[in-house]
Amino acid sequence: MNILIIEDEIRIAKRVERMTKEFFLNTLKKITSVQSLAEGLEFIKTNSLDLVLLDLNLNGENGFDVLQETASGAFHTIIISANKHEALKAFEFGVLDFVPKPFNKERIELAFNRIVKKEEVGTENLQFLAVKKRGGIHLVNIEHVNYIKGAGVYTEIFLTNGEKELHDKSLEKLSQLLPKSFERIHKSYLVKTTQIKEIIVKTGSQYAVELHNGEILPIGRTKYKALKETLFN
Amino acid sequence: MKFNNLYRVAFILIVLVSTSCHHKSLSWKGEIVYSLNNQNWENKIDLKGGEVFFTKTEIEIVQSPVEFQTFGLNLSNTFGEFEIFWDGVLIGKNGNPGKESKSTLTGAMWRAYKIPNHLSQKGTHQLVLKRSLFHAPEYTGLNAFVSDYDYLLEHPLIYTAFMHIFAGGFLLAALYFFFHYLGNKSEKTILIFSSSCFLFFGLILMEFIRTYISIHYSQHAIRMEIISYLTFFIAILVPLYFSLQFSFPKQKVILMLYTGFLIYIFYRNHQRYDDTSYNMALTMWFFSFAIALHGVYKKYKGAFIVLLALLICAFINNISYFDTSLFAGFGVIVLGMLYILSIKAKEQRLAYENSLLQSTRLRTELLKKSIQPHFLMNTLTSLIDWVEEAPDKGVLFIEALAAEFDVLNQVENETLIPISQEIKLCKSHISIMKFRKEVDYIWEDEGINENIKQLIPPAVIHTLLENSITHCLPSDENKMGFKLIAFTTTNTQEYTFLTFGKIRNQQKSTADGTGFKYIKARLTESYGEDWTFTSEATNEGWKNTITIQK
Repeated sequence: MNILIIEDEIRIAKRVERMTKEFFLNTLKKITSVQSLAEGLEFIKTNSLDLVLLDLNLNGENGFDVLQETASGAFHTIIISANKHEALKAFEFGVLDFVPKPFNKERIELAFNRIVKKEEVGTENLQFLAVKKRGGIHLVNIEHVNYIKGAGVYTEIFLTNGEKELHDKSLEKLSQLLPKSFERIHKSYLVKTTQIKEIIVKTGSQYAVELHNGEILPIGRTKYKALKETLFN
Repeated sequence: MKFNNLYRVAFILIVLVSTSCHHKSLSWKGEIVYSLNNQNWENKIDLKGGEVFFTKTEIEIVQSPVEFQTFGLNLSNTFGEFEIFWDGVLIGKNGNPGKESKSTLTGAMWRAYKIPNHLSQKGTHQLVLKRSLFHAPEYTGLNAFVSDYDYLLEHPLIYTAFMHIFAGGFLLAALYFFFHYLGNKSEKTILIFSSSCFLFFGLILMEFIRTYISIHYSQHAIRMEIISYLTFFIAILVPLYFSLQFSFPKQKVILMLYTGFLIYIFYRNHQRYDDTSYNMALTMWFFSFAIALHGVYKKYKGAFIVLLALLICAFINNISYFDTSLFAGFGVIVLGMLYILSIKAKEQRLAYENSLLQSTRLRTELLKKSIQPHFLMNTLTSLIDWVEEAPDKGVLFIEALAAEFDVLNQVENETLIPISQEIKLCKSHISIMKFRKEVDYIWEDEGINENIKQLIPPAVIHTLLENSITHCLPSDENKMGFKLIAFTTTNTQEYTFLTFGKIRNQQKSTADGTGFKYIKARLTESYGEDWTFTSEATNEGWKNTITIQK
């Protein structure tokens, strides 16, 4: 695990660092702590990361600008902030968890567990997927998403208007963040259930879904049962 | 002064003013009735004073009185003591002609005399006054007309009654606004308004006093002097009032020129009292009109209404006689003045309410400093960590926190506190931040003197300190220094707050941040506009300067 802590309160940064070390133990490869957004952004650009722990209010600057940047990254973001009222907005941008200050060990480990156990966040708050584009970060409203296809460490987001966007996060990570209206139908596909027109049963126990736009996507053998339950219950 | 009879009835004829005069060389036919022959009458007469002479004129009655109606002869603004002969019959007596120097002053200048019914039939009649002008030999003129006798008695009383109601309104306004002024002596415009109302009350009273107090012709000038002085001061006060409400450039010079011109008019033809008063009122009108016009141009509140009032005043002057135009005109102007006062009162009330609201807001702002989540939650998180990791240090941290809350509680309701208390607040904040940031913050101060009054709104330096901690980085030795310098003179109080550290983000301006807004609002609350606040980067860090005019 490569972890970055962005926190301007030294004492709190130390506390987070200590708890992170205690949790991840030897799976932790590297942990870095920076005190400003600028340093944090620089670090994100030049290093490969698995997790960013971010304080939203740093030195009087608003951390939401950075949040878009981190949300578009390949890594998960956990917010540790004093401003609880910003939690909802943070979830809209696709953070894994929001840990309000003051926090204890149990609370921060709850957040870390979501990474380790690949738990779904179970929140319906995600509104946007932040994707990197030329000229900056572009926010894709999830209402305009048809399905998402895994492409190695990246994902391809297929939109209702026929366009396609690339996201740095893996399909696993996105499936953790996306609301329940998205269903994993295949190891490489996340589909918005409302876009499914019908299930096609082929010979030899092969299944597929047809979307309203006519596209046909495969259903994984292990996923069929779950999907059927979701759709018909 | 002429008596303006608005209801003058058509069938009464008024002749005269150019009368014929005659010395006492005529034949007497008894005390009551006498006749004059047509010899030795002259159109002009030179009097030295005291001699008895006769004034004669003809009056034509165009319609005979109806049944039970009595006609009366009205003599107004007529000087002298005299006996009145109507067609050779004595119908009235006004003093004792020829004995003025020896007897007490009797007689009036405005009076109506009953005409016997058999002598008031349609046709030409002769009026003769046996008269002496001991005190004013040059005023030989005579104003006479015939009308219904009851009407001649009633009409002036009714007119006077209405004018006194009018005057009562001005007296009340004068008193009300004078008491208002006593309550707040800084409001000069209110005093001017009150004085104008009072002078105007006096003017009406002096004008109509003749209806119920007989004024002997020798005292006429006293009354007229009073009236012209009253008009003079009104003509000074009204434009002065308008210039205070609608300021214009070179005000003092223009006002002095105006006063000079008014004094010139006042003395130019002083004895012609009516003309003088009228000319002064006219001058006042033109000057006020110019001020109001400029006010409208400058978009001052209420200027348009005043301009309108002045135009109405001009219109009234155009359609009515002197007295009416003077009083009605003044009345409209005073209403205009009153209107501005009411606008100003409303503005003041709103400003006051706003200032109350602002003070409450600032108090809340001050309290919020200690409970806003960013401060409180970060402090508590650090505190938990200290308690878990080093409980003895944690206790010190709690004490530092308690100290800051304690000082904040003490200053919460104040708008100004001694600088020593503000320093206490800053030091307790530094103690807390030392625990949170683990930076060695160093505080210094200079020029603090417990023996002299050095005041500052609460949490102003504290806000600057917070800003510095947020926006500056400690030195390589993990140190950051602060220095507060107080510089006190008799008229000014200056505070310089220096931060020694590296600035995080040079470009980012904090000038519009909530912190600076708080500081500026607090300074305005206590010092109005008598303060300056500058904030700038220096080679060593940051420099804030607050200068207050005492």
